[in-house]
Amino acid sequence: MSQIIIQGLLLSGLYALIAVGFTLIFSIGRVLNLAYGAYLMIGGYVYYHFTQVLGMPQIAGILLAAVFGSVIGILKYRLIVKTLKGDHVAVEISTLILAVVIQAGIVLIFNDSSKILHPIVPGVWRIGGATVTFNILTAALASWAIIIGLYLFVRNTHIGRAMQAVSMDVKGAAISGVDPDRINLITWGISGALGAVAGVFFASYTQLNPSMWVAPLIIAVAVVIVGGIGSIIGSLIVAHIIGFMEIISTTLIAAELRGVFTMLLIIGVLVLRPRGLFGREEL
Amino acid sequence: MSGILRSAAAAGALLFAVQAAQAEVKIGFIGSLSSDTGLSTLRGAELAIEELNAAGGVLGGQQIKLIKADTGEDVTEGIKAYEYLAESEEVDFIVSGSIDDVSLGWLPRMVEYQIPTLDTWTSYIGIIDKLVEDYDSYKPYFMNIASDEALATLYIDFGKDVLADKMGWKSVVILQEDTAFGNAINGLVSEALAPNAGIEVVDTIVYDIATVDFAPLFNRAVDSGADFIYLISSVNSQVVSSQYVKLQVPMGMTGVNVAALGQEYWEDTGGAGGGISTLSPVPSVGFALDPKSQEFVDKYVAKYGDSRPKFPHFNGFNAYHGVKQAFAAAEEAGGFNNSSWVDAMQKQDLILEKDGQMWLRYGFWGRDEVEPRTGRTYPHNARFDITDPYDDGSPSMVVIQWYEDGTAAVVYPEKYATGEFQVPSWVKN
Repeated sequence: MSQIIIQGLLLSGLYALIAVGFTLIFSIGRVLNLAYGAYLMIGGYVYYHFTQVLGMPQIAGILLAAVFGSVIGILKYRLIVKTLKGDHVAVEISTLILAVVIQAGIVLIFNDSSKILHPIVPGVWRIGGATVTFNILTAALASWAIIIGLYLFVRNTHIGRAMQAVSMDVKGAAISGVDPDRINLITWGISGALGAVAGVFFASYTQLNPSMWVAPLIIAVAVVIVGGIGSIIGSLIVAHIIGFMEIISTTLIAAELRGVFTMLLIIGVLVLRPRGLFGREEL
Repeated sequence: MSGILRSAAAAGALLFAVQAAQAEVKIGFIGSLSSDTGLSTLRGAELAIEELNAAGGVLGGQQIKLIKADTGEDVTEGIKAYEYLAESEEVDFIVSGSIDDVSLGWLPRMVEYQIPTLDTWTSYIGIIDKLVEDYDSYKPYFMNIASDEALATLYIDFGKDVLADKMGWKSVVILQEDTAFGNAINGLVSEALAPNAGIEVVDTIVYDIATVDFAPLFNRAVDSGADFIYLISSVNSQVVSSQYVKLQVPMGMTGVNVAALGQEYWEDTGGAGGGISTLSPVPSVGFALDPKSQEFVDKYVAKYGDSRPKFPHFNGFNAYHGVKQAFAAAEEAGGFNNSSWVDAMQKQDLILEKDGQMWLRYGFWGRDEVEPRTGRTYPHNARFDITDPYDDGSPSMVVIQWYEDGTAAVVYPEKYATGEFQVPSWVKN
């Protein structure tokens, strides 16, 4: 039981970090950014290139990953989302296509073989019968720190409050003097950076692979669908539901069914509670 | 008039000579052009062809032209690739670096076109069984790697000699990917290796090949109370290997780990691959090479050493020697004319010695020859030896181990061992 609790908490922390950037875009821009998984992939590969190939310090690798993710997010907003404004289907299709194009680019630059990242913090800790790597512990702690920081940013800063206003009512926010375009741009930049950093931790926990963007995208979509239109707290709760479900199914039922329960949960929520478990929440 | 005739005759003779000099023999390569496996076979074949062409050509001075057909490791693409080589390019001979399923896909096309074909990677015994059952239809097929039944027989010996007797392990938990390959090897371990070695299978954990988080699975394995983990992984094996190392799972792990077969394994695991052992066809990583094999490796590295795979996998050796043997058979048979070429190919026999003893052998089992230990025939399969002292053929497999310092060694059988089987430093034996 202690293993399930420890591993569930650690995995859920990582899932929360993966999902929060996606939730942010969906909540403010009402856009399902299906290229979100590509931010994670870019973040992982940027970190790999600068730290493992060029030998730069790990902190520099994480910062560079965040910068790359942010720039990609901003460019995507400027070149695609803003251009197709209002046409949600076109935005979703184009973001999905963009993810595939980025995958092809990664194959071209890094080839299609999987790569394993060195642990960000090496070592293991055995506690309550469970083996915990310092790497996943660091990832979970960093996730919590980033999510708390984001929560405080949204609640306590002028830009954060403007993001909340745009998420609730774009026209109302504009009348109150908020520039929705600028807020969207900032949000896409933050989302890209969060996704890229999540990608570094996710890849260091699993692997780097040109198709690694799919699994985190499914997690992020599941969090939004199950949680509702989205809030940071709601995303956190649902990330924990999914994380614990995966650990419980893997440990107690059958390892090959790991993702199946997440899918069943999505279908169940869509049928029984289309607005999600938490409905429409404040950001 | 006679002068004109003489000039015309001379011109005709010259033209004929030029045509003969320009004539070429087409051979096909079928396999993945983007995998280490496929590229190993391709490059081995390319080096053999280069040498044959440089030595004046084959079959009366003709140059060999290699046509490549990519399978992408996909069955449908493999069938199309074989058809392309047969119908569009009309090749005389095909060398294959296909994986099991792809070879099974194009095999009916080989029966249809009757093109001499040499497989260098798949070891699926079911293909050899087809030759046993219907020799006339399948006789253009040769496989110059020991079939998996022969691999299994020797591997059971490893279970008894090393895992049970030397390590004292009495129970195992099987960690198996959810594939046909995984099920087949699980059957081997549960029904043959474990009972023969007196090892009890206490649990089997099956995982999806998309799994990237093995922490809960390793915890379950530890909870089972088994002495060691038997891993069966052919897809993305570097992920499970690296997590075993990163998590410092406190029990030994051996088994079948396809990623660990290549020299790129250490780089692919980011250096987190120590302690992993796997069975491997020969010559494997860590295998002491005879002078001829070393010569091939030196040529390979000089030509391809800058790109993956930087070092040939076992099937690269198979392709290099196999292509040369196929042409030696063609010289003897007067071409790739089916029946006579098959007879000549069966007689090919290359024995490579090291320190005065047989080290590797590239030959084939005859149609009716019975392998003494298993008591069955292996027509057109590589001539292997599964009984110590391995003086009638190459061993069907060896067990290799990657150590924590990034080196690799053969740990079984004794004759070929270059290192000792050991558990990683974080495991208390």
